[in-house]
Amino acid sequence: MSDDNGCKGDTDTRLAAHVQGDLDHALDFDPRDPLVGLSREQLSGPRLERRTVLRLFAAAGILTTAHLLPQTRRRALAAEGGTLNAGWSGVGEFTTLDPAQINQVLLFQIASNVMSGLTHIDPDLVAQPDLAIDWTPNEDGTEYTFNLREGVTFHNGDAFTADDVIYTFERSRDPAQSIHSSVVENIAGIEKLGPHKILLKLAAPQASLLVKTLERSSGRAMTIVSRGAIESMGLEQYGLTPVGTGPFRITEHQLGQSLTMEKFADYYDPERPKLDKIVIRPIIDAEPLAGAMEAGDIDIIGGNPIAGELIDRFESNPDLTVSIVPQPGFQSLWMNPHREPFKVESFNKPLEELMKEKGFMVRMAIAKAIDRQLFIDQAQFGRGTPAYGTINPAMGFFFDESLAESGAQVYDVEEARRLLAEAGYPDGEGFPELSLLHTPAQRREGQVLKNILKKSLNIDVKLDPKDFPVLIEDGDKMDYDLMRLGSGGDFDPDDGLVDWMLTTSKFNGRLRNTDEMPFGYFSDAEVDEMIAEQAITADPEARRELVRKINAITSDKVASAFIYHPADILVYRNTVNFPPESRIPGLVDLDRVTLSS
Amino acid sequence: MTSYILRRVLGAIVVMWAVATLVFFMLRAVPGDPIAAMLFDAGDAAAVDALKARLGLDQSIVVQYFKWFWLTLQGDFGNSIYGSRIAVSRIIVEALPRTLSLALLAFVIAMVIAVPAGLISAVRRNSALDNGVTLFAFLGLAMPDFWLGIMLIIVFAANLQWLPAIGYEPLSKGLWPWLSHLILPAIAIGTPFAAIIARMIRSSMLEVMRTDYITVARSKGLKGNTILLRHAFPNALIPVVTVMGIAVALLMSGAVVVENVFAIKGLGRVLIEGILNRDYPVVQGAILAVSAIFVFANLAVDLLYGVIDPRIRYD
Repeated sequence: MSDDNGCKGDTDTRLAAHVQGDLDHALDFDPRDPLVGLSREQLSGPRLERRTVLRLFAAAGILTTAHLLPQTRRRALAAEGGTLNAGWSGVGEFTTLDPAQINQVLLFQIASNVMSGLTHIDPDLVAQPDLAIDWTPNEDGTEYTFNLREGVTFHNGDAFTADDVIYTFERSRDPAQSIHSSVVENIAGIEKLGPHKILLKLAAPQASLLVKTLERSSGRAMTIVSRGAIESMGLEQYGLTPVGTGPFRITEHQLGQSLTMEKFADYYDPERPKLDKIVIRPIIDAEPLAGAMEAGDIDIIGGNPIAGELIDRFESNPDLTVSIVPQPGFQSLWMNPHREPFKVESFNKPLEELMKEKGFMVRMAIAKAIDRQLFIDQAQFGRGTPAYGTINPAMGFFFDESLAESGAQVYDVEEARRLLAEAGYPDGEGFPELSLLHTPAQRREGQVLKNILKKSLNIDVKLDPKDFPVLIEDGDKMDYDLMRLGSGGDFDPDDGLVDWMLTTSKFNGRLRNTDEMPFGYFSDAEVDEMIAEQAITADPEARRELVRKINAITSDKVASAFIYHPADILVYRNTVNFPPESRIPGLVDLDRVTLSS
Repeated sequence: MTSYILRRVLGAIVVMWAVATLVFFMLRAVPGDPIAAMLFDAGDAAAVDALKARLGLDQSIVVQYFKWFWLTLQGDFGNSIYGSRIAVSRIIVEALPRTLSLALLAFVIAMVIAVPAGLISAVRRNSALDNGVTLFAFLGLAMPDFWLGIMLIIVFAANLQWLPAIGYEPLSKGLWPWLSHLILPAIAIGTPFAAIIARMIRSSMLEVMRTDYITVARSKGLKGNTILLRHAFPNALIPVVTVMGIAVALLMSGAVVVENVFAIKGLGRVLIEGILNRDYPVVQGAILAVSAIFVFANLAVDLLYGVIDPRIRYD
């Protein structure tokens, strides 16, 4: 993560996190263990891994960094077991944990600890084996042979086999049973080759298959469920206490009050989980969440993003750790291209031609007038990264840092004013008042945007707060001037491109009057073609080139005024040891977490 | 008496039906499609239509109303339209004990504060104690209960760490776990109520103390405490009991907000989240439960008059 991503103290934070992570791992052993928590394989040559060497140094008492850190003494006592109390921010209840019905990130954060997929992403958003131990695609990427992990059991004792993968797939493809049927549309079928071997056939090659479709947390469509449990418990109960193959099993769920997970002793990895028990409480308001953390009622906060005004308070508390990494998502200001003063008849022309149109000039002026760092400082208390497209920094390999320097939307207030004047509104004169649609939770952001646009361009914006269901309805019908909306849990470029930038994207004004509005908020044939191409491009380098090109076009053509990529903030007590390998943006995987005594 | 009770019960049922009907139509008049919002992430218009059809939400509002009415008469309150589609009756049965526990403790705390405060205030009229009670009453009425709740969390939970900040433990987990989680929210709800009751007791006592029978009691040479507690106070209670019926409204409305602050999933939270999510069956079921509590609590208060004052009889 480089310094120019806009997160304050980001490099220091990441460095400190890495050092801390190494220390955590080095000291995470029982002093009485003669192998100091290492396996014989780890101690075998010809080469020892770096972390193995650090552990040996720690065991020998010569790990010099350890003597410099005051937490060292406590970390040395980190051990397995114990109960972790968690508070899930901004939510009143966990309506369902059935992957087929999950529609919120905060819910699959929990499900990721209870269930498994064929793959699971790591902190770099790269797919790693989960219930599949390896996979082999055919030449054109339309078939994948998966070898499944043997000896895995569900929490109810049922053995996991290829039949469970097929059952999950059949269930997910049925819209009557799953809200994610569209996610598996490209899977033509799954053939059982053996009790732990399957052949997955695709209608067309799919680059996001492993990171999106088959992934255990955000994927949901192929998060493996237990047929036996569903049939015996019924759907209602299964949604409250789902049975999976994950490291924890749910033992109690009082809806709206608390959810208890306990260690699953027969998890396929004998080294995990470390904790005995986790109790999660939904806490909807910010102040009680902070009070609970400070009172010691909870040890870690997951769920929805924590209210920005609390983070400074947590950071100044010496008993707490605040870990900040880029969140996989983006937030934007959408301008309705079918309304004056930013009306655009068609985006299907070169940028040079678009720049001659008054409506487009207004769009560009607004995009250039937003001082994104100022917005982040005022609306998000300095936490976030300026955004110029839907591809976020957490995607790492695909993210294009150069847009922050050379993109068309880069902040330039003089150029913005010039454009506005050329469009016929010198110093905002004669510019109509715009209505900004947003949720009540985004009131602060709306106010900051309003102030920025007034100061930069002298244009007036009226805030129009509406509940989420109403905002969605108005958004789908394209019944707005400006709208604040964004995305989270975007682990693969498809999440940012297919879901948002295609003419037929699911969020692109699907309920609009198509006679009056031939497209939603954006439509570009070249972009559509490239998005379809990148979705089937297996070669990562080639795909990256396409993704970056698409991102640049949608940015330059002001598909929306992209504002920021949120920061993923995890707050926990210093007695909680949260290793770097579990620090997956957007998720709260607790299987490697330990507690210090 | 029996016919009086029967008439009141029938009246209560009519009131409940009227309230539920009003809520039914008002809720559907509120903008925002709950199914579209719920399936927003899936972005599948066909899935939205399919789910609406399965839940009967694609039918006309009149058809939906009669279906709901018929099922309600049979005791079937339907299922939440969200997530696991949990039965509304289950949601309410789980939430109700939490709200009732909170309301009961709030009531006890309020009475423990209000009765002595009101009595002392009346007996030591215009003294420093009386002025103190008056100040307390004004503060109690002026302070929003959610603000008081947050202050209590900051002081007693976050700073002093004497009590937990959030959550609820059922009585089955032990008396102290149950009580410790309810003390702070009960104080937050009970304080405004105590303020009202204290002032009520004060003014009622002052009126009773001026009556002839109290003068006679004094002239008979009865002790002050005997006059106060045996003669004056029971008679002063009648208007206070009237307020108790309204107190149910105060405690329930306070619970709605305070439950959110303390992360207690009681009936109040069920209602708020149901409304925000446009979860029609949950809101309708919760409103029925709340209106039942109101009307039957007021009936109980009316019957209590007859116990306190033998002169009052119903037929």
